[in-house]
Amino acid sequence: MIRRLFSLLLCTQVLVSCSDARAPLSIAFVPVFDGQILACGNAADTVQLTDLRFYVSDLQLVTADGELVDMPLEADTLWQQTDLAFLDFENGEGHCDNGTSNVNSFLRGYARKRDYVGLRFTVGVPFDRNHADPLLASAPLGEGAMHWHWRAGYKFLRAGIRTADDGFWLHLGSTGCKGTVQEISSCSSPNRVRVELDDFVPGKDVVEVDLAELVAQSQLEDGIATNCSSSPAESSCVSPFAALGLDHETGKASSSQQVFHKQVQY
Amino acid sequence: MKKLVTPVLLALLIGSATWLSMTEEQYEWRIAPNLPLPGVPLDNPMSEVKVELGRHLFYDMRLSINNTTSCASCHVQALAFTDGKPRSVGATGELHPRGAMSLVNTAYASRLTWANSLLDHLEDQALTPMFGDNPVEMGMAGKEEQIEQLLHSDSLYADMLPKAFPADDDPYSVLNIIRSIASFVRTIVSFESPYDQFLRGDDQAIDDSAKRGMELFFSERLECFHCHGGFNFTDSTTHANANVDRVGYHNTGLYNTDFNGAYPPDNTGLFDMTGYRRDMGRFKAPTLRNIAVTAPYMHDGSVATLDEVISNYARGGRLLESGPHAGDGRRSPFKSEFIRGFELTDAERVDLLAFLESLTDPAVLSDPAFSNPYSD
Repeated sequence: MIRRLFSLLLCTQVLVSCSDARAPLSIAFVPVFDGQILACGNAADTVQLTDLRFYVSDLQLVTADGELVDMPLEADTLWQQTDLAFLDFENGEGHCDNGTSNVNSFLRGYARKRDYVGLRFTVGVPFDRNHADPLLASAPLGEGAMHWHWRAGYKFLRAGIRTADDGFWLHLGSTGCKGTVQEISSCSSPNRVRVELDDFVPGKDVVEVDLAELVAQSQLEDGIATNCSSSPAESSCVSPFAALGLDHETGKASSSQQVFHKQVQY
Repeated sequence: MKKLVTPVLLALLIGSATWLSMTEEQYEWRIAPNLPLPGVPLDNPMSEVKVELGRHLFYDMRLSINNTTSCASCHVQALAFTDGKPRSVGATGELHPRGAMSLVNTAYASRLTWANSLLDHLEDQALTPMFGDNPVEMGMAGKEEQIEQLLHSDSLYADMLPKAFPADDDPYSVLNIIRSIASFVRTIVSFESPYDQFLRGDDQAIDDSAKRGMELFFSERLECFHCHGGFNFTDSTTHANANVDRVGYHNTGLYNTDFNGAYPPDNTGLFDMTGYRRDMGRFKAPTLRNIAVTAPYMHDGSVATLDEVISNYARGGRLLESGPHAGDGRRSPFKSEFIRGFELTDAERVDLLAFLESLTDPAVLSDPAFSNPYSD
């Protein structure tokens, strides 16, 4: 025990020399539309970003021999708890006028030095924190714009785009919740998205969030703005839910999601 | 976790060490002794200063994105805290799918809003109009810092917040304005209508027509009282001593757009919360207190007058012959068993309307305790 403690101490002093030492590891995300990088206020884009914010939890790395290893995050006062992060790509500019200037496009955590070949994470807030009082919550759960007060939980994902005469937005969160606010017992449609990226080297590869997958091209050409707020009554939710690997009726995983993938390096 | 406590229990707790240091002065309800008191959350006890602070916040347009809208914009005292519109309009002009509900006796509502089975605390509900963005009502999402600055810079708030929340190191928080507004709304109580005076023994308080209307209202023939029963004329009622959670949602046959009971997609009622097909078109029965001043009617304001409301119920569901939502609500498979239809003579209709009008309490519509402090 003492020896182990000593070795741990030593490791914090000289990180690289210890085989089981944790090293800082960042994972970058970037929003795209059909391969084109999106940014709020970039007037040249034919497709304009209006919103992109989401929570990431249950983060794991896949080792070369197939083992799943938790990736703890560095807790801070704005974006991250040790097991929950908030990524925010809207900067309040352009059509992102519903947002704020703060942005955060990286997960910042730690991993032991090993060969990793994959990334796993969930887009969503864990159940225990999803239904607590947002006015008493610690960062990043104090985000008023991310709380869905009348659905008694968080919006896990807010995404929106617009073209010259059309648009689409999605608010994803748990629905069909039972109980009352702050005493929610369960939700029939959890609507959490599990992302599994193989052939992905954490620290080197970048996660693309492809908003084109959320909208069939035709939906952006009919001149009628559509939206989905996760309601079981909204037929406009069916295809974006499918892109997220969710069954719109049950809110559970039905296939693999298409929205988050490894950015191809040119 | 929030628990409801009675003021009596609260008084006992105040004596204990846990509460002694953080208690506010007890609030004196202006409610007749034969009536139950509203439940009050343990973590937001009532006090005179908090209620008065809440009244100022309720009428403060600086709590909206463009300084145009306060809670009172959609909850106008003279209209029993409704806004007279079919569907309410937010600060930025966005149309809400539903109309503003009366806030009178909301303290006794076991669930809040038209069809949200999750919301049972005013403290939780108040967040949606202030911070919700679909639709935008007051539009303050992401503007929490701006609100906190206002609380510091406004001399009245700077003075009242520490008094209303004496145990807080930093009382200038969104949480505390929410708690104050909820406490104010909790005091908007009405039991002074002519009908209440009649119940208390003043036989002259309502006329013979209203008395005949009362008989009709409480008859098995019309069935009104099944959903609009009890001291608050709604079956979703609770109070400080209630030991049963009474909540009712009903499909009144207002729509049937697909021959299978569908409602317009932006107003599916409880179905939107549960996803259960059987909950299609089920909405909470609103209180009928002050109903004569809260036109237009139903969740989407699609019925202009009380007379038309009665006609729809008499028919056993509404028939919309044309338009995007055409359909015969009478044939909805989800319709409440109490919407069976009835025959009503013209004289009976006049009597029933007279009874409904006797539920208007002029006192609550003009009581200075609930009025705009900025126009004093």
